[in-house]
Amino acid sequence: MLVLTRRAGESVMIGNDVIITVLEARGEVIRLGIQAPRDVQVHREEVYRELQAANREAASPTEDAVQAVTRLLSAEDA
Amino acid sequence: MSTRTAFRPIEAIKTDPSLGLPTITMAVPMPGFPAHREFVLVRLNDDGLLYAFTSIEDPELRFLVAPPELFFPDYAPEIENEVFAALNTKDPDRLLLLVVITAAVDETTANLLAPIVLDRDSMRAMQVVLSGSGMPVRAVMNRTY
Repeated sequence: MLVLTRRAGESVMIGNDVIITVLEARGEVIRLGIQAPRDVQVHREEVYRELQAANREAASPTEDAVQAVTRLLSAEDA
Repeated sequence: MSTRTAFRPIEAIKTDPSLGLPTITMAVPMPGFPAHREFVLVRLNDDGLLYAFTSIEDPELRFLVAPPELFFPDYAPEIENEVFAALNTKDPDRLLLLVVITAAVDETTANLLAPIVLDRDSMRAMQVVLSGSGMPVRAVMNRTY
């Protein structure tokens, strides 16, 4: 991991297009501003990890599972 | 010298999900699946209530998705301008929301925190994370009383 020290108002550039700016550093809480191109997603890490895990869990369900969902839909419709 | 041309047996053609279906391009790949950029939406239910969002790169990879209205009639997330830009959206009414379903025999849940947003005109899509909304990643769809 690359470690840099910044003060409020200072920035870090990642690649050519991503800029992270320390807006405010107050005690334990740091406010960051992020500029990135629109095809680069920016997320709090723990949110991203949870989403990754949820997608992996959802991916390629078994036939039994698909049947269960189909039954669920028929029930809801009735 | 003759060339043997590979041919698809009729069963394979009948079950190939990508044949004839319009391709959806991911403006941003789904978290956890960065290599999969093109998908097709295969209808699984006659009423259009359940689809398999299937990868063209690997048809074994598919996500069960559904329009959220039937189970979550009040679900009406705000979609930010950044999403319109990423999807080249001209008309926001042409956006379709699909929620990813995690199916299990005992419990089925929908991801309300990160719906897939599809622009039906540009045929571009992305999974949008509704940060700060408090929406559940696993909202239960079936209830056992």
